[in-house]
Amino acid sequence: MKQLDTELSKQFTLSDYVEQRPELAFVTVEKQQLVPLLTYLRDTKKYTHLVTLTAVDWLEVNQFQLTYLLHNYETHTDIGIRVKLDRDNPVMETIHHLWEQARVYQRELHEMFGIDFPGSPGVEEPMILEGWQGPPVMRRDFDTAKYSLETYDHRKRDTREPEIYMKEKLYPED
Amino acid sequence: MKLKDILSPFYVWKRAFEKPYSINTLTELRPGSPTYRGFHKNDVSKCIGCGSCAEICQNITIDMVPVSETKDGDSGLRPRFDYGLCCWCALCVDICPTGSLTMSNAYTWVEEGLDKDVRETYCFTPGVDEKHWENEELGYHRPDEYELLHLNRLPMPHLPTEERITSFIEMVKGYSREQAVKEADRCIQCGICTATCPAHMNIPAYIKAIREDNIEEGLRIMYETNPLPGVCGRVCTRRCEDVCALSHRGEAISIRWLKRYLSDSVEGEKYNQILASEIKPQNKTVAIIGAGPGGLSAAYYLLKMGYSVEIFEQNKAAGGMLRYGIPEYRLPYDAMDKDINYIVSLGAKLHYNTKVGKDISFDELHARFDSVFISTGLFEASKLAIEGETLPGVLYGLNFLEDVTHGKIPELGKKVLVIGGGNVAMDAARTARRLGADVVVIYRRREIDMPADHEEIEEGYEENIEFHFQAIPMKIEQTADNRLEFIWGNAEMKQLEEGKRPVPVMIEGSRESIIADTIISAVGQSTNYHWMEGEAIANIKFGKWTIEADRWGKSSDPKVFVGGDIFNRVADAISAIADGHRSARAIDSFLQSQTE
Repeated sequence: MKQLDTELSKQFTLSDYVEQRPELAFVTVEKQQLVPLLTYLRDTKKYTHLVTLTAVDWLEVNQFQLTYLLHNYETHTDIGIRVKLDRDNPVMETIHHLWEQARVYQRELHEMFGIDFPGSPGVEEPMILEGWQGPPVMRRDFDTAKYSLETYDHRKRDTREPEIYMKEKLYPED
Repeated sequence: MKLKDILSPFYVWKRAFEKPYSINTLTELRPGSPTYRGFHKNDVSKCIGCGSCAEICQNITIDMVPVSETKDGDSGLRPRFDYGLCCWCALCVDICPTGSLTMSNAYTWVEEGLDKDVRETYCFTPGVDEKHWENEELGYHRPDEYELLHLNRLPMPHLPTEERITSFIEMVKGYSREQAVKEADRCIQCGICTATCPAHMNIPAYIKAIREDNIEEGLRIMYETNPLPGVCGRVCTRRCEDVCALSHRGEAISIRWLKRYLSDSVEGEKYNQILASEIKPQNKTVAIIGAGPGGLSAAYYLLKMGYSVEIFEQNKAAGGMLRYGIPEYRLPYDAMDKDINYIVSLGAKLHYNTKVGKDISFDELHARFDSVFISTGLFEASKLAIEGETLPGVLYGLNFLEDVTHGKIPELGKKVLVIGGGNVAMDAARTARRLGADVVVIYRRREIDMPADHEEIEEGYEENIEFHFQAIPMKIEQTADNRLEFIWGNAEMKQLEEGKRPVPVMIEGSRESIIADTIISAVGQSTNYHWMEGEAIANIKFGKWTIEADRWGKSSDPKVFVGGDIFNRVADAISAIADGHRSARAIDSFLQSQTE
């Protein structure tokens, strides 16, 4: 896998090579080089299968990280291509022209993280959160408890603190 | 046309008799997978209502609601789920300290009646509201290899046994800052312990202060309900730890040692500055009889309220049973004096070597003071009531321990028997062991029935103390070579009354004996009121055992209050401290009503 990385490095700006297992490695690429790199891997290096496309929210450094995982059926190796996006402007080129099924992943990422893939068919349609009005749910700064309290305030809470309740019940006079 | 072509349509028909590959979703339920995160289940007999599930829930799905059935160490609350908010992450199951909360693999719940508010239908209290998945075995349970709680306590360093049995140095070394913070970090802050503590100390709050390394705040929190934290940090019976939420699947938080850590972390000279509060002087006086934990606690709170307090103590130093009953290796005198000195520094006037009834009469106290608080304690040893009890060499545990405190070490000889199973018996046995004797403890019931602290018993074993259980004392005889023969009968445990603890009943004809040099009897304590003579007692009503009083310690004479071992029957330091605090507040309201 290291050999592949060296070879790719001649044409692409790669960084942070990590070999997780002999048959699995990750590498980070510049945002604008992603589509050429994936095309090259698919058409020249026989990484023909898009296994998954997923995202991580690195809130602390204000970035989203996309990971495109590709599989080679001849060598049975996987390579994960990572791209860092600015969290304030999370837009990425679509790759549905390379793999048709990518539009489903892209639609999901749009819904869960609010990452846009302009041109991806139906990317703005809800996938599972039909009628959802709130912020993208997988963003780490989404405070679920606060959202619940504000949005469902008609649903009266009726809870008690054990310590206070026990005092009222067991030793109110003390 | 071939024969096969004619027959092949009929081959298909054989499939009609096979099990179909398709699933009938219309009439048959498809169960969720064995670890499916389905609807919640709660074993309410195990649940203690600590609220950890509600605390960890990211979607405020859970409300803690009251239920009618409750038990000891149980808040009486149970989690109610709002399935409109639940996201099935199962954090509530993972955090549950008792392991009562789990999930079934059920995922269908059909309610009839669309006219009902949807909120009423999908909110429910598992284990309380009957549901069809209640007894479903399958479903998500916390996997064994995954644990959010820190179940094991930080080990407390002890003196090695060899060093212990040759000295009276404090055997428990105490936590370092790092250890204490780590131990405090295990606490889940549920507050179940607060109700069990007789003084209702705000335990979660001072543990939080330790975690945040705010020692001074921790000390202030402790003094709100307990003016003897250095003492309780060492010898408290710590019933709080018995109900600790973590004790259900792991080890309770070391609440006692954390209290000791707070108290040990502040120098005595700084107490005045840290605990300073505005004291409004009141023109009233209170007499306190007995400077044990009850009397000292009452004194502290009365002084803080601005009253003048005088304490009458028959011994030459304050502390009562803390000083004269508990040995130095458990409660060193300087640790106790740190607490006591601070109380005295607030202006308590102590009359040492002053026995009420002999050096000053109760009448005089009653006339001179605006109120009197009686906390004399159980200062009399109970008798064994067997033949030979008065022989030389037969001692009483209380007197023995008191003599050792005074530095009067009796000649024990090589072999010592201790009769009894309480903390005094253990203190006497372990003190005798430290004085060089071989010690045998003899107790009427079984080991599990011993009222002594289980740690004391374990440590007794470590110090090579022998135990004989189910032994009923019969008599003591003097042998020809001036030693003592202790004779007992073996007992069997019989359940005589339903719901009470079993009683030892002598096995007819059994007789065992053991030769010893000294026998120390520690089978209980009592008190007497011979010292309360005069006219002033006319209004005080006596019950069967003690002075009759309400829960505030108020007797039938409105200016006389009682507290401590003579009053609460639990007879431990923290209950006496709680009594002192309660009575101080009652005395305050009585004296305030007098001025109006």
